[in-house]
Formats: sequence, structure tokens, C-alpha cells
Amino acid sequence: MGDCVLVVDDDREIVKAIGILLEGEGYEVLKAYDGLQALDILATRQVRLVLIDVMMPKLDGLSAVMRIREKQNIPIIVLSAKSEDTDKVLGLSMGADDYISKPYNPQELAARVKSQLRRYTMLGDIHAGSCADELRNGRLLYRTVEKTLYADGEPVKLTATETRIIDLFMRNPGRVFPAEEIYRRVWNEDSFASENTVMVHIRRIREKVELNPKEPEYIKVVWGIGYKMEKNEKRN
Amino acid sequence: MIFFAGTSLTLGSSVSLLQNMPGDFLRHPARVLQADYQLSGRFREYISGRLETFLAMATDSFGGSYYDYYDYYGDNLIESTTTGENTATVTQEPIPYEGMSEEELMEWQNWYYSYDNRSDRKDPLTDEERAQQCQKIAQQYHDSIKKDQNLLYSIAYDGKVLYSNSELLPTDGQLTAPEGYNFLLQYAEGKVRIFKDGKELDVYGDGYYRDSGSEWYVPGYRNFTVDEDQKKAVIYIAAVKEPVLYSESAYGRSSYRQMDNRLYWMQYNITARRSLLIQSLVCLTAGLVLLLAALLCRRSRREARADIARFTGKIWFEFKLLTGILVLYPTFLGAVMWLAQNYGYGDLLYLVEDTAYWAEAEEYGYSLSYAIPTLARSVCSLPAWIWLVVFWLLYFAANDLRHNKKVWAHGLIAKLYRSFTARDLDQPLPVKTAHRNAAAFVAAALFGVLMLAGGVIGFAWGGRNDGAVWGLGSLFFLILVGYLILQYRIGVKNMETARDIELLTDRIRNIRSGNYAENGGSSEENVREEGKSRLEEDSRLAGHDLEQTITELEDIRHGMANAVDEQMKSERMKVELIANVSHDIKTPLTSIISYVQFLKEEKELPEHVRDYVKILDEKSQRLKNMVQDVFAVSKAASGELPMHMEELDFGKLLRQTLADMEEQIADSKVTFRTEIPDAPVMIMADGQRMYRVFQNLFQNAIQYSLDGSRVFVTLQADGCMAVASVKNTSHQELEKDKDFTERFTRGDLSRTDGGSGLGLSIAQSFTEACGGSFSWETNADLFVVTVSFRLTGNTHTGGAENA
Repeated sequence: MGDCVLVVDDDREIVKAIGILLEGEGYEVLKAYDGLQALDILATRQVRLVLIDVMMPKLDGLSAVMRIREKQNIPIIVLSAKSEDTDKVLGLSMGADDYISKPYNPQELAARVKSQLRRYTMLGDIHAGSCADELRNGRLLYRTVEKTLYADGEPVKLTATETRIIDLFMRNPGRVFPAEEIYRRVWNEDSFASENTVMVHIRRIREKVELNPKEPEYIKVVWGIGYKMEKNEKRN
Repeated sequence: MIFFAGTSLTLGSSVSLLQNMPGDFLRHPARVLQADYQLSGRFREYISGRLETFLAMATDSFGGSYYDYYDYYGDNLIESTTTGENTATVTQEPIPYEGMSEEELMEWQNWYYSYDNRSDRKDPLTDEERAQQCQKIAQQYHDSIKKDQNLLYSIAYDGKVLYSNSELLPTDGQLTAPEGYNFLLQYAEGKVRIFKDGKELDVYGDGYYRDSGSEWYVPGYRNFTVDEDQKKAVIYIAAVKEPVLYSESAYGRSSYRQMDNRLYWMQYNITARRSLLIQSLVCLTAGLVLLLAALLCRRSRREARADIARFTGKIWFEFKLLTGILVLYPTFLGAVMWLAQNYGYGDLLYLVEDTAYWAEAEEYGYSLSYAIPTLARSVCSLPAWIWLVVFWLLYFAANDLRHNKKVWAHGLIAKLYRSFTARDLDQPLPVKTAHRNAAAFVAAALFGVLMLAGGVIGFAWGGRNDGAVWGLGSLFFLILVGYLILQYRIGVKNMETARDIELLTDRIRNIRSGNYAENGGSSEENVREEGKSRLEEDSRLAGHDLEQTITELEDIRHGMANAVDEQMKSERMKVELIANVSHDIKTPLTSIISYVQFLKEEKELPEHVRDYVKILDEKSQRLKNMVQDVFAVSKAASGELPMHMEELDFGKLLRQTLADMEEQIADSKVTFRTEIPDAPVMIMADGQRMYRVFQNLFQNAIQYSLDGSRVFVTLQADGCMAVASVKNTSHQELEKDKDFTERFTRGDLSRTDGGSGLGLSIAQSFTEACGGSFSWETNADLFVVTVSFRLTGNTHTGGAENA
């Protein structure tokens, strides 16, 4: 049996669907249909991760997150039909580790659960092995000496060019690079139609690194300006 | 210019022509224009007068021509009623005869006119005395005129020559004029024969004298004869061809005497008038020709008028007014002086002032109607230049008025007033009112003090210093003080009203700036304070003029506050509703998508069920997109969309978007042609939103374009605007007059394609939320969307991206 995951939603079909999905991924799934029930289960069972809906009867998701945080440090993913940025920010500030908006993409959900669990379990190792040649950004870790990128502790297979781009980004998190500069620094030559080439590589990296390549969290396009690695301070 | 010259000439010459035209000009134009003075009516009159006088002299009797004698006094020389001549503009007037001393003249005059009233007369006068008297006067007269060799005469009576001033005159009945003299009149036996240039003139015509027809007022007509006594006289008169001026100077005694010289002056006048007339006629002709020419080029005249108006428009109004006064006043003075000079002050005074004179004159047979033409005539006879000056002044003034609006607005006073009011404009109303009140008060006080001072000075001047004066003065002073107090009270009241008006305008401004709320402040305390002050203000207003208005305004504010509240509430509710609905849809949708996913992963499903599942998958995805789009549009429309504006390169944005969608484009059957400048085109926008805009536009283009056609994406930095356009050829006919940005509108009415129908609507909302403008147009099958933004300063500086 894998890690125990608690799924909380007042919509039973969704809970069931997530249960099927995660059991298919090899997790043990506990189900609750409101906030209080969730707290009860958490009090009795050893749970490694909580997936919780925001709008629920008795005790809403965000209040439940706060209550959980009082006792436990397990990863919490908030699941909500509200997809606005402000809702996300609010959820994360309440102590949630991640946020998935409904209707979710099943693969993405599975990927996020996996990612959170890995980071949670590997946390000790990562902190122990922290040294000068490691660049860390959220769930990404880049080892400059061996030129390898790790996502949630697992090495990501990148081509030489992609690695050079990641090298540039991980060394300068948050800085926006115009396509021309990326091209010059990665390919070591001037180019004129650099936008397409760079964009193609960016997209490929995203697919390897991001949990949902369509809504990237790390490798971002700054429209009309360039590209950047988003600094992700959470759980650093 | 032609026009000006033409008008001036025509006007001037016609005025002078009108003034100088003798009455019979139209009947005998040739006679007026001829140079020979001997053909003029005045000459005939003169000669007949002389003949009359000579006859009287010959027969030792009194009489003679009334005009002849009368002329001696020089009074009325110009008046010549029979010919109607008016030598108004002839500059040099005949100088009255100065041969007699003042006393002699007086005597002559008195004797002649008031013979019957003379106190020292010997009554009845004996024939001898009478003859002596006559001879004495005749001798004097002869002495006075004999040196004027322009007119030769010899007077004989009974075969004896009594008076003659020339030996050259025939005495023997020969009828030839002496050398240099071309006019000869012979009077003998009551008949007159006249020879001019050796030819005898027909004096009598049919033998009857008529006032209107006969030219020569001489005896010898059948109805105009002389008595036997006078038939004995023989008189010869010869007139010189070219008169000259005869004068006698007594050097050392500083006296200078001019002889009669009537003929000289006559010719002088005639020549002068003739040349004047000819001059006027030539001028008139020239003027008319010029006027005609000016009429032909009317447009240039209009331009010239506009030019002049533009020029005069630049001149200060005061300057114009001053010029007008400066020119008109001397003109007026000149005209008055001229009238006075020509008609005498007395006449002028009569004309101008003394209408009583005319009333009186009426009794004597003059009608008042006579006075008006006289006045009019005298005004008409003003010199031409006065008319010209007046005409042109009026013309320029009219031109100025016609072309320049509000001529008085451009002037020193207007400027001062404007600058004063402009400075005043920034002041609050009470201050302005205070200024005006102060000005009115000061003006009233000044006026009163001036009046008072004037009164005091007047009385002091008048030498009156008694109690009554001072009593009156102090009474006036009291009235003045009372008036000033009243003025002050009114001013205070005005100030109050002004303050009220300011309050009113403040409140109106508040309402206009959107501050409708019952209480403008945001915090609780503010609200209470403001409410209190408003109440205070309202109570202060009680009884004021504007109380009613302010109350009404309050009502309006209430109404508006309510309406706006309502609207805001309904707006909010709409967005909330959409948010709730989309949330409520999302929850079941999540289940659907999840279970469809499971179904897709089922391996053992029959083929047709897999098809069903595929359809379910597609439609649920589409529903998901639609829900998201609806939500985005409603938020954008309600202005609640959070924006992250930054300066970005429009061209790069387009390139990035195209690169991002590269696979999609490559998979589609259309080709993208781009024309995007490499140089940065910087705009202020939210990149994420604009990406969404162009993503939608490109998706639309891919989805709705004709297979194999091209989509043109262009960007132009055009002046201060960056204009991006996406042109594609629709695969089906575009409906005309269809608003494609209307929500849920698609080119395809059947709605079977994958879009939400919100693509363009979102693109428009987002573009406008970013501060850009979004427009689209269709041209046959061509669909063109234009997105434009204002450029920021950094465009074309280059190298911005080369860090």
C-alpha cells in the first residue's frame, strides 16, 4: 500500500473519481465529505497528503486547512471551482501547499499529488544534501557541477541546449531574458529569428518540468518582453 | 485698388459736379462749358445793369439796376437768381468795389434807400437840387469805374458826351469796337444794338420781352420802352476780349485800390469753373471707367476687402475709434467752418440754431420748407474731400464690421477687461462678487464726492455762501451717505448670495465628480462630520434666496445616489451571478470530465461507445472553455479584471504568440504571413491579456479561414499609434452588418464548431481593458481585425532588449 491520501469534497462523485484516479496511481485513499469529517479522520489516521475542496458544508475548506496546519505539516492541496488568482493566493496563504482549480485535469492532479508527496518525503534528504553547487527553486533543484535538473528529487532528462537554458534560468531566477539574449548566451551566436527557436525549446522544457505545461509555474513567458524562471519561494 | 481709386474719383467728381453744376447745365451744356465770359448770363445781366445805370447817369435821374447798386455792397454778389448760378467752389471772390469811402457809401445807400426818411432832406427837393445831387453821384460813380478799361463806355446826351472812359469808342455812329474789344453795345433812340466779334446779335427776337425767353433785359422791346428823355441818350459800351486786372496803388501810403474789374472776375470765375467742371468730368469719366474695371474683377476686390478687414481687425478698437473721432471731428469742424465762411455765421446760426427765425420767416413769406433745402443744400455743398473722407471712413467701418466679428473685442480696454476677468476667473465666486461690489461702491462714492465737490465749487464760484447753500449741501451729503449705506447693504446681500451660489456649485461639482453618496466621506467619523456640516449649511441657508434651489439639488443628489447605488448593486449582482453560475456548473463538470476520462481509459469498450466517449470528451472540454470564457468576459465587462500593466514590445508579443501557437498553425491548412518590424514597438498593456487577445484572434483565423488561404498579421508603428491587424479570408460568406464582437456570435450560425463564440468578445474586452482600441471590419470575404495602442516614448530607441 502507498501513501495515505485524504480526499475531502462535498460532492461524492468527485471524491469517488479522485479516489479511483489516485488508487490507480497506487495511493491509499481516505474520503471525507465535509471539513469536520476530515478533521476527525486526520485525528485518527496517519495521512500523508490532503486534497480538500474550498466550498463545503459544516466547515469550509480554508478553515479546515488552518485547523490542520495547527497540528500537522503534511502537504495540503486545495481544490476549488474558483479559479481566480486571488482565490489561489488566499488558499496558499492559509497554509495550503498547492492549488488545483476545477474542473481539473486528472493527469495534472495525479502529478501534483505525486510531486507534493515526493517533496514531503524527500524533504530531509534535500535539506541534508544542501550545498554550494545546488540551486533550488520550489520543486526544482539544479546541480551546477553535474548540470542536472531535479524535479521533486527526480532527475529530468534534458538535451544539451535545454540544459544550457535551464542553467541560465536557474542561475538567474526571476530575471526576464529576451529571446535574443537567450539565443546569444545558449547558442553563442547572434540570431535574427530567435523567437521561434527559443519558444520551441521553452515549450519542450515546460513539458518535462511543469506539472501542467499549459499553465506553467516555473518556466514562464513574459509576453512582449521575454522569458523567465518564476521564483517559487514556497517550501524552499 | 482700382476700385478705391475709381470710387474716390467718381464720388469726388460727382459731388463737385453736382455742386458746381449751374441750373441750366442740362439745357445748355455747351454754354456752361464755353470759355467766353461774354456768353454768360451774368455778363448780359451786368451789361444791361450798366446800361440802366448809364441811362440814369445820362438823364440825371436815379434808378438803375437794383442789382448793380446792390452789388456795391458786395453782400450778395453770388446770388444771381435769374441764372441760378452758384459759384460755390470758385475760390476767389470778386472784391467789392472800394472806390468810395465808407461815409460816401453810407450816404449813397441811405440816400438811395431812405430818401423819404431822411431827416435833413429838403422836401420837396427841387429839380435843380435833385439834378445836382444826381450829377455828383454820377460823377463819383464815373470816377470809380472809369479806370477799369475792361469795360469802355461813353455816355452822351443830346449829342454831348457826358462821361466816357475811352477815346477809342465810336462817337459817330460807327459800329466797330476798338482794338482788343470784341463786344460793342450801342444804345441810341431807345434801341439797343449789340455787336459781338463784328457780328450783330439779335437782341429783341420777336420784339416782346419775356422773363423766360428773352436774354437781354434792355429797353427797346415793344413791351419795354424808355421815355423820350432817355431816348436822347446815346451810350456805347465795349467789353474787352481778354479782361485784365486794373488796380491803383498809392505807394508809401500803404493803400491799394482795385478798380471795378467786374469783367475780369467774371471771366476769371467762368474760366475757373470751366476748368473745374472739365476736371470733374474727366475725373468722373475716369472714375466710372475704373469702377467698371473694378466691377469686372470682383473677386480680387472681395479679397482686398477681406485683406483690409484682416488688417483693420488687428488694429485696436480704441485706436480705430480715436482715428474716427480725430478724422471726423476736424472734418466736422472744417465743414462748419466752411459753411460759416461761405454762408456767414449768421446764416449758419440761423440754419443750425434758430428755428424760430424760420418760424418768423414764415410770416414774411418764407416757408419753413425753404429752410430745409437751404440746410440740405449747404450741407451738400461741402467740399468734395469732406464727403470722400466721410465716405471712406464709413466704408472702412462697415467693412470692418462686416468681416470682423465683435470689433470691439480687440482692443486695449477689452484686453484689460479680459485679463482682469481671466485673473478673476480663478477666484471663488464670493471673492469675485466682493471685487465687483467694491468696484461699484467705490464708483458710487467717487461719483457722489465729485457731485458734492462740483456743487460746492459751483456755489462758491457763484459767490453764494449763505446758510441755504450749506444746508442744501449737507442734505445732499446725507443723501449720499444714505445711498452709500444702501449700496453697502446690497453688496452684503450679494455676498451672501454669492456664498450660497458657491456652496451650490460645490455640491454640483461633488455630484459631477461622482460623489453622490449621502455622505461623501469614507470613514465613519468623516461621514458624521460631513453630515453635520451639511445640516449646518442647510440651516444657515434658511430664508436665503437660493434655499429652494439647494433643496432641489439635494433631492436630485438623493435620487442620483439611489440610482447609482441600484446600478452598482445590479452590476455586482450580475457578476456574482455569473461567478456563482459558473461555479455551480464547474462542480458537475468536474465529475463529467473525470468520469469521461475513466471511460476513455476503458479498454474493452466497443468501437461505437468509444466514439460516444470521444464526443462526450470534446463537448465537456468545450463546456469547460466556455464557462471560463463567460466568466472572463463578465469580469472584463464589469471592470473587475485585475490588470498588470507594463511596458512591452508589441512586435515581440505577436512573435511570441505566433511561436507559442506554432504547432497549431503548422497543423492548420492556412499559412501565416507576418509583417512585424524588428525594432521595438513599445506600448503599455497587460502582456498576459494581450497574449489571450491574439491567441483568440489567431485561433479564429485558423478556425474560420478558407483552406489554403493566408492569414496576414501586420504591425505598424504609425505616428503615435501602434496598429496591429489580422486579416483572413473567411471560408464562408461573412454576413454583412453583423456585430462579430457581440457575445456568442460566430460566423457559423449552426454553432457546431468548437468555439465558445466569445473569442472576439474577449479580445475586445481585454484590449479595451488594457487601454487599446479594438475594431474589425469585413470586406466581402475578408475579415480584418485591428488592435491599436498608443505608443510609449521608448519606441525606436533600439537595443532595449540587448541587456
